Amino acid sequence: MKFLIPLLLFTVSAFGAETLHVYTWADYVSPDVITKFERANDCKVVIDTFDSNETMYAKLKAGATGYDLIFPTSYMIQLMEQEGLLLDLDSARLSNLKFIDPDILTKVHDRTMKRSVPYTLGYAVIAYRKDKVKDPQPTWAMFDRADLSQRITLFDDMRETIGAALKFLGHSINTRDDAQLAAAKEVLLRWKKNAAKFDNEGYKAGLDSGEFRLVHGYSGDLFQVTQQNDKVGILIPREGVTASCDEMVIPKSSPQPALAHALINFLLDPKVAAENMEWMGYLCPNTEALKLVGKDFLENPAVTIPAEIKAKSEVIQDLGPDIAKYTKVWDAVKSE
Amino acid sequence: MKRSSIPLLITLAVVVFLHAPLVVLIVNSFNASRFGGTWEGFTWTWYEKLWQAGDVWDSVVVTLKVAIGATLASMLLGTLAALALHRFRSRLQSVHHTLVMMPLALPDILMGMSLLALFVALGVQTGMLTIWIAHTTFCTSYVAMVVLGRLQDFDFTLLDAARDLGANRSQAARKVLIPLLAPGILAGGLLAFTLSIDDYVITFFVSGPGTTTLPLRVASMMKTSRNLPVINALSTLMISLTFIAAALSFRLQRRSS
Amino acid sequence: MKRRRQELLLTLPSLAWLVVFFAIPAVLILAIAFRPGDLRGGVGEGWTLETVKALGNPIYLPVMWRTFWLSAATTLSCLALALPMCWHMARVTPRWRHFLLLLIVLPFLTNFLIRVFAWKSLLHPEGLVKQALVWLHLASEDTLLLNNAGAVLLVLIYTQLPFAILPLYAAAEKFDFTLLDAARDLGATGWQAFRKVFVPGIRQGIVAAAVIVLVSSLGQYVIPQIVGGTGDEMIGNKIAQRAFSDRNLPLASALSGALLLIVLIPTLRIAWRSRKEGRD
Repeated sequence: MKFLIPLLLFTVSAFGAETLHVYTWADYVSPDVITKFERANDCKVVIDTFDSNETMYAKLKAGATGYDLIFPTSYMIQLMEQEGLLLDLDSARLSNLKFIDPDILTKVHDRTMKRSVPYTLGYAVIAYRKDKVKDPQPTWAMFDRADLSQRITLFDDMRETIGAALKFLGHSINTRDDAQLAAAKEVLLRWKKNAAKFDNEGYKAGLDSGEFRLVHGYSGDLFQVTQQNDKVGILIPREGVTASCDEMVIPKSSPQPALAHALINFLLDPKVAAENMEWMGYLCPNTEALKLVGKDFLENPAVTIPAEIKAKSEVIQDLGPDIAKYTKVWDAVKSE
Repeated sequence: MKRSSIPLLITLAVVVFLHAPLVVLIVNSFNASRFGGTWEGFTWTWYEKLWQAGDVWDSVVVTLKVAIGATLASMLLGTLAALALHRFRSRLQSVHHTLVMMPLALPDILMGMSLLALFVALGVQTGMLTIWIAHTTFCTSYVAMVVLGRLQDFDFTLLDAARDLGANRSQAARKVLIPLLAPGILAGGLLAFTLSIDDYVITFFVSGPGTTTLPLRVASMMKTSRNLPVINALSTLMISLTFIAAALSFRLQRRSS
Repeated sequence: MKRRRQELLLTLPSLAWLVVFFAIPAVLILAIAFRPGDLRGGVGEGWTLETVKALGNPIYLPVMWRTFWLSAATTLSCLALALPMCWHMARVTPRWRHFLLLLIVLPFLTNFLIRVFAWKSLLHPEGLVKQALVWLHLASEDTLLLNNAGAVLLVLIYTQLPFAILPLYAAAEKFDFTLLDAARDLGATGWQAFRKVFVPGIRQGIVAAAVIVLVSSLGQYVIPQIVGGTGDEMIGNKIAQRAFSDRNLPLASALSGALLLIVLIPTLRIAWRSRKEGRD
């Protein structure tokens, strides 16, 4: 029963302190950073994770009102705002807002950071096993490679995967054109024959273990894998990639808005952001923090993609009722 | 007459089949490799990391709280239901019987969705309460089924004998019925406990902030490659605990008979 | 009247609970299926048949077919394995019987997800099983044991077996084995006795086991998600996708309603049958 006593102490200590509930992606904030915050503010931080924006949103709409800080992707925020779910931020409590890179603000929905603050910038890219893949090329056409058949994974995400096909064809990932979407569908049905599965999170473990040889993944997650396994390499497709900005928001129903503000500000502190970045592998659009990170972190292609590809990259936008067109394509791809 | 050895062989094969993944888990909890595809050396690392994994222990606490609550509630509701179903035969009991048996047949995803729809409609916040309600609902059916089975084998003349010897109805119930039913109620409770700590799908639908149970935590850990074998270490611990508990109860049963 | 009062007292707690937390939610699900979805992820206003009509979409056919055959195959395989097992267990000494039961139930007490995940490890392209099969020349280097329908079927059978064994065992325990001796005396072989005396004798147990496994398999979605490939989705995956990814609660409800109706038919039949037989 050796673990009972620390367990009891653990739960008892949680009663005295205040608790901040965070709802975010898996492996998305450094545990050391969280511990520092807990100590500095005498509180406990409880992290629940979601693996898709839609699941998070469904949970919120179903009445999960106890969250204090949520990390949705930018396109989701427009919807959440329209539903009146978000609290107006008190900029007086967010002294570190000044460190946010102004360039990122041109890409997000909320340019004045009234209700959301950018957290990371990431890209959907390809990663591969250097020991198993011959002649890797930085292009979405890698998914057509017959020699890698059944060892490939694609994202189980409608916008990301259709977006990759659209980029491969040279179109915009936010297109509403039926002909372009039909062409993307054909491409995806072709890629599907080579793919082992559609996967959003298990690809990291699969690539690391050799179950998969080529995966569709997020830059930061793949960065983490390269840190642990030097047989993994990253490819940035030259046709352009989807960029996503995850942001921090406080729901109106938050029980601890003051503490939530404190955590946002803490995460924006340049030293903290630098430490967090290097752990996560994602870029925080924080000008001061970027000066503090190691050079090899910055030069990693997963973190800083080449400028010419960046120019061809787009952010996923909410498409309103036209999303039904994408749903139709996705359904067809998944069931045929 | 020669007895075919096929049934024996099949039984042995099935037992090996059922236990193969467990062996893999236990072996991999000591495997230095992060994935268990190949053996890369013996290590205690995953057990050390398990010890430090606060979020895993938090979810164990949540899981146990819900399981104990749901087990107690379903033992009560299930036993009452079984008693009613066994003793009375009316239209009401036919409806009752159908309602009690149906959760057994309903796929988890339907149960989860319907409960979520209810909580949304009522505006109830998802959290410990909703998980407890969900678990109690499906556990009650299992307890009722087990106790009902026990009641069908129960010799009710024992109760008549007790009354002949002067006991009133409530005394007969307390001193004869309940003690003899107790093993069935406990068996049902044990089943309910097991189902509750293992539930993933229904809990996924009705959980809320800070109520990540162990299965939910395992699911999210399964998707990240860093600390996966910690789960193998935890599983090995749980398997060992279960084995020890089972062996003990086996011993106790042998002693009493 | 006192008897009636007693009945009500005993029945009310569980009845009330189940009506509120089981019956009403089930009706709610069916009701939501008749509302339009709204893009914001909620349920729209008003009533419509559009959502239910959307079930007619041909894309659901392959999924339903796949769900059905996988569930049927799982059920038949489980029965095929469980029947000889229960035959054996019912004929050995009680000590062995209890020991075997313990061995069967023990894995069941481990976390479901972890067991499924352990199969990913076992069936890994570079794992032991694959290496053994290659060494035995039963598989080539390129054969993939994971991410296909075979893996889904295997893991389905694995997780559903205990559910088949337990009801069958309960029925086998009550079976009068002297009937078999009588059959043998009349000249039947072991196999004939098994087929014509044992199997019909535990018919109720077989039906119960079949229904439990079939219904449980129909609603699965975690197993196809973890060990299945791109073409192995079952109806449960579609429901989860509609509910969470597509933010289309009415359509998820409509699919759930359809599944519910399919599941209800064998279940109710069993419930009424067993109630009738219990009464006699």
